[in-house]
Amino acid sequence: MEGPGLWMMLVAVFAPAIAAALTLLLPRPAITARTLVTLAGFGMSFGALCWRISSLGVGHGPGAIVGFPFAESIHLSMTFNPDPLGLFFGMLVSGIGFLIVLYARGYCGPDRDSLYRFYPTLGFFASAMMGVVLADNMLAMLTFWEMTSLSSFLLIGWDRDNPRAVKLAVQALATTGLGGLALLGGILLMATATGQWTLSGVVAALSSGELPQQHAGMIPWAFALMFLGGATKSAQWPFHYWLPGAMAAPTPVSAYLHSATMVKAGVYLFARLWPGLESFEFWGPTLAPVGAVTMLLGGYLAVRSSELKKIFAYTTVSQLGLLTCMYGLSASGFVHGAGADPSAHGAEAAGLALWPVMQILNHALYKAPLFIIAGAIMHIAGRKELHQLKGLFREHFHLALVCALAAYALAGLPLTLSFTMKEAFLHQIHEATHASGWFWVIGAMAVLTAMCNVSIFVRIVTTFWMQPTGAPEARYEDDPHARADNPISHDTGHDKPGPEDDHLYHHEHGFWAAWIWLPAAIIVAFQYIGGVAPGWFGGFVGHVETNTGAWDQLPSLWHALSHPGVPLAMSAVAITLGVLLGLSPLWRRPIDDPHNAIFPETYVALQRLGAVVYRGVQSGNFRYYVYAMLGALFVGLVATMGGDAGLHKPVISGALWNARFGLILSVVGLCTLIVLTALMIPFVRSRIVRVLILGTCGFAVTGMYLLYQAPDLAMTQLMFEIISVLIFLLVLRMLPEEAPKRPKGGRIGRAVFGCFLGVTLGWLVAAIGGYVESTDIERLGPWFEANSYHGEMIAPAIVEDGVQVAPAQYARGGGGENVVNVTLVDFRGYDTLGEITVLSIAAMGVFAILAVVPASRFKPSASQLSSTEFAARFDHRGVKYGRQIMLSTPLLQTTMRLVLPLALIFAGYEFFKGHNEPGGGFIAGLVASVALAVYRMTFGPSVMKGLKPITPALCIAAGLLIALTTSATPLFLGEAFLRSANGYIERGGSEPYHWATAAFFDLGVFLVVVGVSVGIINRLLEELE
Amino acid sequence: MTLLVSICIGVIFAVSFYLLMGKELKEVAMGVFLIGHAANLGILAMSGQPLMVVGSLVEPKGPPILGTGRPMVDPLPQALILTAIVIGFAVVAFLLTLLVATYRRTHELWIDDLAAEGNPAFLIDGATERKNAAA
Repeated sequence: MEGPGLWMMLVAVFAPAIAAALTLLLPRPAITARTLVTLAGFGMSFGALCWRISSLGVGHGPGAIVGFPFAESIHLSMTFNPDPLGLFFGMLVSGIGFLIVLYARGYCGPDRDSLYRFYPTLGFFASAMMGVVLADNMLAMLTFWEMTSLSSFLLIGWDRDNPRAVKLAVQALATTGLGGLALLGGILLMATATGQWTLSGVVAALSSGELPQQHAGMIPWAFALMFLGGATKSAQWPFHYWLPGAMAAPTPVSAYLHSATMVKAGVYLFARLWPGLESFEFWGPTLAPVGAVTMLLGGYLAVRSSELKKIFAYTTVSQLGLLTCMYGLSASGFVHGAGADPSAHGAEAAGLALWPVMQILNHALYKAPLFIIAGAIMHIAGRKELHQLKGLFREHFHLALVCALAAYALAGLPLTLSFTMKEAFLHQIHEATHASGWFWVIGAMAVLTAMCNVSIFVRIVTTFWMQPTGAPEARYEDDPHARADNPISHDTGHDKPGPEDDHLYHHEHGFWAAWIWLPAAIIVAFQYIGGVAPGWFGGFVGHVETNTGAWDQLPSLWHALSHPGVPLAMSAVAITLGVLLGLSPLWRRPIDDPHNAIFPETYVALQRLGAVVYRGVQSGNFRYYVYAMLGALFVGLVATMGGDAGLHKPVISGALWNARFGLILSVVGLCTLIVLTALMIPFVRSRIVRVLILGTCGFAVTGMYLLYQAPDLAMTQLMFEIISVLIFLLVLRMLPEEAPKRPKGGRIGRAVFGCFLGVTLGWLVAAIGGYVESTDIERLGPWFEANSYHGEMIAPAIVEDGVQVAPAQYARGGGGENVVNVTLVDFRGYDTLGEITVLSIAAMGVFAILAVVPASRFKPSASQLSSTEFAARFDHRGVKYGRQIMLSTPLLQTTMRLVLPLALIFAGYEFFKGHNEPGGGFIAGLVASVALAVYRMTFGPSVMKGLKPITPALCIAAGLLIALTTSATPLFLGEAFLRSANGYIERGGSEPYHWATAAFFDLGVFLVVVGVSVGIINRLLEELE
Repeated sequence: MTLLVSICIGVIFAVSFYLLMGKELKEVAMGVFLIGHAANLGILAMSGQPLMVVGSLVEPKGPPILGTGRPMVDPLPQALILTAIVIGFAVVAFLLTLLVATYRRTHELWIDDLAAEGNPAFLIDGATERKNAAA
């Protein structure tokens, strides 16, 4: 859905972030311009919402939802719902935000560096928050939700050089972030259960009761996870610890996050879900007790705090508990029972009419001023503990007055909106006690909480009134922006502090400076307007209340006083107790919230657990990993074979015994050779002999490849076996002889385990091989055979009168007769391309590693080895690394002079016949490599010098380049990657000449193989020489 | 034939696992070298034996090359194994170089000693050199 509605929403959501980001373009000293641009962003956001209401009205239902698709495949679309609740929250966020921008200007003063960094972060946060309250798509809401977590992390950890602030920011991020994960889980479950991905859709589906039955069981789980998300964000017990910790932020952040925005996101979520979920039996019993406990705990901890910001933070926790509790109590069927007759109780049967949204507004209207003024007091008076603020009325009358007025509202005393709200709440609780006596418990908790709030007010006012005693306290200078890099700092040019040094000494005077307290006065004024004329507010907010249409019943002060009853009595009790407590010396000593230990303790415990697991799993000993992998392999194999009846018994064909004797003999002979050589290896002491036996075993395997009719394999294996053995022998020369005798325990265990694995794998091969032979299974091989030379027949040959008129037409094939080679360079060309890349990387690794650890720099020190060990292990070898390489005899030299050209010619022949007969790039490259490598060993390093500028590395690079070019060329001709072409060039009279582009690819393979093999051997020889 | 070959494979596997579990790095390298043979041969053996019945006699099938007129063995396992051989070579060459580097840095090839705490191998890069230079 397009149109102006969408643009209004987009402006409302994104204007703060965009405007604030634009301020980064301004030069640093342009403070006023920076403030004005940011203000414009918040103002546009607020204005867009107002315009939306005035021009299009308040949106209800799906028609009003605007947005655009974003990532439809994961059900994420950017849709916004301008319904009353969203618009209310949006206006709260942008409106308070507007004043916070001004406040930040007054708070930071002319500190340009702080403002430069602060406004963009604040704008990011505000946009995220606007997104949360206006988004309709649940995943979009979650995205914005997590953005608030991230941006609040930046804001809380604002003082990034202070480890404590960073720790508290991490605590807030981890707590709300984990809550966000829970919310994601809840959203996914909820979307599965209802089939809806939008909040409006979910609520509509839940309240209509038309749910797909198969997932109905998920709804309680979805609720539980979403509740967890909301409870962590809105600091419900026991997750409330992050909120007071978040006070490490500069005060503008606290005032914004904790009055109107971040912590209200959880409550907003409850408000959103309320219409859909309130009729479920789990809603009320979950929200009401958790909220009530949080409410009372917050109140108590607020009284037991002494730092101004901390007091207000705990009252915030308390208020959030109250709000959650309200949403719980408003659930239908909770208070009066599910089976209650609606007619008997009238409207109340639908749940208590508690005006929670009004309470949200009410809370913002006194909490934002309280934080703002707390910051101002800390900043101007330089003191943050309540007991240090004696005599504030005389020192800073305006600050003390606004603070007292806001605290009066906090206490819920008459003439404020708070009073009205409290009366309404107590009234409804009293109504509820008619249904069940249990609600007296919540009533009592509410009274106790009110008592705490009243006592806080009393303490603040009495402290401000008192005469200062004793020496003036040291100024509180822990404010991040007042640090050393502040250009206007402690140097005032006076020896003795004058009046302007005592306060405001690092702030300028005048218009902007006043904004450090003016926003508080503006906001708190609404408290008293609402207190005198609650109906005026009710007319505005009443539309938003989702749980009642009875907004006009909000009792005015006169109504409450003229209808005395139990609620008024409860209020009176709370006020009396609060005044007494406030004046008494009781509960004056500040205490620490024991919940503060939850996060650090969990963090440490998880780290310890991680260390234990790590030590258990990662021993650092290679053998441990080998045992683990082999054990897993064994278990997996046994489980697989045990579960598959077809693998229980190998099928033995016995076909071999009917073959020619020579075939039988070669099979049996080669098998015997393999078994014997393999079994000899563990028993041979000398490492050189061991490697030679390894090679013998490899040659026997090569023979086996021949018997399996795999000439390409046999040739490749033969050559690689030669090169590998050469490399092995060269490397062994660089390593010490067997070290002095070491305990050799565990050999039997190794042997037994190895035998188990060997038997299992042998059995598996026999079983699968037998199964394949005895069953006519479908194979992939025939397809390669059919397409190797040319593709499938399109049209048969046309034969007229016994003369072929037109040849048969075939689809395009690989153009070669050697199926294995065609498969490698054509059908599975990607494989080969990757393979030569791996070869190149391995060679580069060899070159690089040997360059990094040259032998000369790593001679063991005498202290590292005992003298005997030193002699045994190093001296003997290390010093006598001669220039003489054993192979270099005249006989060999002469032979190699003859062999090399022949071998190279043979390699060329293998290369060209590869497409149709055994051979190809790999084999040709290996033949050439073996010859070159042996030649290099025979004649020493001069060979490589003579070949310059052709080096192995160049060979590798050229080979890779040729292979890649050949593969990529078809792309430019509009064909697929690696597509090959082939054809015939007619030559008059004689046989046509066959060509194939695959030959170029094979040339690349050839060059890489030569480069890698010769390069590695050359490099190792260089090390020895 | 499959049975005989699978016995070979089992033996090679057993020996290579025995070597892999060894206490010295050279043994491990030999195990890696050997295990490739067993795996490759295993893939080949699992594709069936290269024999066919001609009348009363059993003859070997032809290699996977067109135009020979004989029924041929399955070409796909061969193509796969060819790749495996090449990669196996690269792995062994690289592993052996690592062995050289390990020995030069630590003067140690015994796995248990390498894993022991305080071994120079666990020092951050450059620390070993400085230590050696100082000593």
